[in-house]
Amino acid sequence: MMKRIISLFLTLILLLSFTACSGNFAQVDLKEPIVLSEDGIVEKNVLDKIKNENAIATFTGKSGDIKYEWTIFGSDLADTRDVNLSLVLEETEKGIKVKFSETEDLGFPALLSIHLNERWKVDGATAFDGDTAVYSVSITGSKTSILNISVNKIVAECEILPDNEKAPESTPSTESSLNDKDDKNDTETNKTDDYLSDVKDNDDRVYSDGNATDQDKYKTDPVPEGKPMPVEPEDQEIDKKKSYTCTFSIECSTILNNLADLDPDKRELVPSNGVILAPTKVTFYEGESVFDVLQRVCKEKGIHLESSWTPIYNSAYIEGIHNLYEFDCGELSGWMYRVNGWYPNYGCSRYQLADGEVVEWRYTCDLGNDVGREGTW
Amino acid sequence: MIRDSFSEYHPFNNFLYFALVIGFSLALNHPLAQGIALVCACTYAISIDGKKSVLFLLKYCLPMVILTAFINPAFNHEGTTILLYFSNGNPLTLESILYGFSAGVMLVTLLLWFSSFNRVMTSDKFIYLFGKVIPALSLVLSMSLRFVPKFKAQMSTVTEAQRSIGRDVSNGSLWQRTKTAILIFSIMITWALENAIETADSMKSRGYGQKGRTAFSIYRFDERDQYTLIWLGFCGLFLLSGTLLSAFGFRYFPNVRYAALDMTTIPFYCVYFALCITPVVLNIKEERKWKTLVSKM
Repeated sequence: MMKRIISLFLTLILLLSFTACSGNFAQVDLKEPIVLSEDGIVEKNVLDKIKNENAIATFTGKSGDIKYEWTIFGSDLADTRDVNLSLVLEETEKGIKVKFSETEDLGFPALLSIHLNERWKVDGATAFDGDTAVYSVSITGSKTSILNISVNKIVAECEILPDNEKAPESTPSTESSLNDKDDKNDTETNKTDDYLSDVKDNDDRVYSDGNATDQDKYKTDPVPEGKPMPVEPEDQEIDKKKSYTCTFSIECSTILNNLADLDPDKRELVPSNGVILAPTKVTFYEGESVFDVLQRVCKEKGIHLESSWTPIYNSAYIEGIHNLYEFDCGELSGWMYRVNGWYPNYGCSRYQLADGEVVEWRYTCDLGNDVGREGTW
Repeated sequence: MIRDSFSEYHPFNNFLYFALVIGFSLALNHPLAQGIALVCACTYAISIDGKKSVLFLLKYCLPMVILTAFINPAFNHEGTTILLYFSNGNPLTLESILYGFSAGVMLVTLLLWFSSFNRVMTSDKFIYLFGKVIPALSLVLSMSLRFVPKFKAQMSTVTEAQRSIGRDVSNGSLWQRTKTAILIFSIMITWALENAIETADSMKSRGYGQKGRTAFSIYRFDERDQYTLIWLGFCGLFLLSGTLLSAFGFRYFPNVRYAALDMTTIPFYCVYFALCITPVVLNIKEERKWKTLVSKM
């Protein structure tokens, strides 16, 4: 009797292992990064495979001692053909020169990540073809910088320069480079080069003199000199008669550099260029905080947002935007906000906005170190 | 109500059955699988307990499912389908409601399975199965499983004894009643601690858990138990492989995605249903046999 039972089980297991194995017969494993061949050509059938499996594939290459990586989303692919993804990268005086081997447009947006060998201490950068801006560049990376560019149209050659190096009027329009369908009329980009300078006339916030040495009662470390002091939400008086504008953007390009850590269920949520909300001019009323405006913007645009009130910091905490939550891409991941190039060291409900400020919500996978946050925790 | 003949099977089969159904009820969150488990758990509980469990279902289980479906979205705002916004700005999402509903169904299913488990797996069966392998743990388990009903019985005894000497919890001023209640509670705690020590000492003095100790048992592993074991083992392995091949795959967040119902996945659901309904089928079979035997006489 026992023998019969055992043999029955063994046959069953054998049968099951056959059915389990029969599904996998592909030659190219899309889950691992693929090293580009010498000539950089990616064949049509590989792209078709990415498209059919709706996979996210990465191709890595090297030019000199600079590594680069292409991330291609299967959902973005339509008509495919052989494409040449190899690049020639050269460091110039101020930035990086990129020469594409491909001559025609790719026909789909692909994310190009250039891994520099040192840290580039700039907030943002733009790629220029001569004097016209072609791509806007998002900078991530902890110890060494990673330049993320969403490439759709191919130019023969371009130079990536930090944003404060060029005059603002030649900055690119977001629509063309980021391939964004919405907000064509009210998008505005990177006019932020002179933001560090002055205090606006209609700004009655208190600025830090940098003399404080202790934490305040909500555990906030001294605010650096010249930065606005927090305004407690209960003291904020919203004056609906006075309305100003500021620029809001939400992006998560760091996830694209850390796709291996991402919760697999969340993969399809990540936009292929990392942009959830392209820089958008929004109206706000005097006295409103970053949190108030974020909540309104997300509601208007139908972007999912979850926050929770944290009494010890007297501020709302942003748990997730666009269903991308804290800890979804590694233990050190979550949402941070930057106003005029500075990551405030207090919560977004305590940051009172002033006219013309540029607010960027960025997803970090490394406690802010990969999105250009300075200093230690 | 029919006699539960499944509880007359070998304890190992009883235990294996409950281990499987409880395990799969916990692991599978596909609504169809959950529905199958819920229906079978209800049927079995009703076939064992009759009216009492119908009442339990309507009185506690139904509100519990509705409650979790309402409570979950209040704390969980994940999900891509935004229905409306709460006053604090967080969204109410369809996914969180569905998840709350599914969690409620799972909770009720488990409650029903455990109520049947307590009926079928009496403490003597439990000790018989695990007394030799894990003596200390199985004694603790069986004692703690028995604790609540025993405590309740002792409680009423003590209350009545106290009432007979004039210390009634329903009599006197609030202060007096509280005093009496505290006194009864203190008696109960003392009793419980002492009883536990006594039980442990008593078992020790009988050589419980010692090597070479034999135990009297009335359980025989006969032919029908062999067939049942093969059946349960087959179901367990088949469903385990189905889970590994994600035939029961279902996710609620960030948006609902599930494994399609087709020729490759439907057999797994059929087997799951067959596994869960096994004791009810055995009971009906036994009942029929009994009736035919009766009519022949």
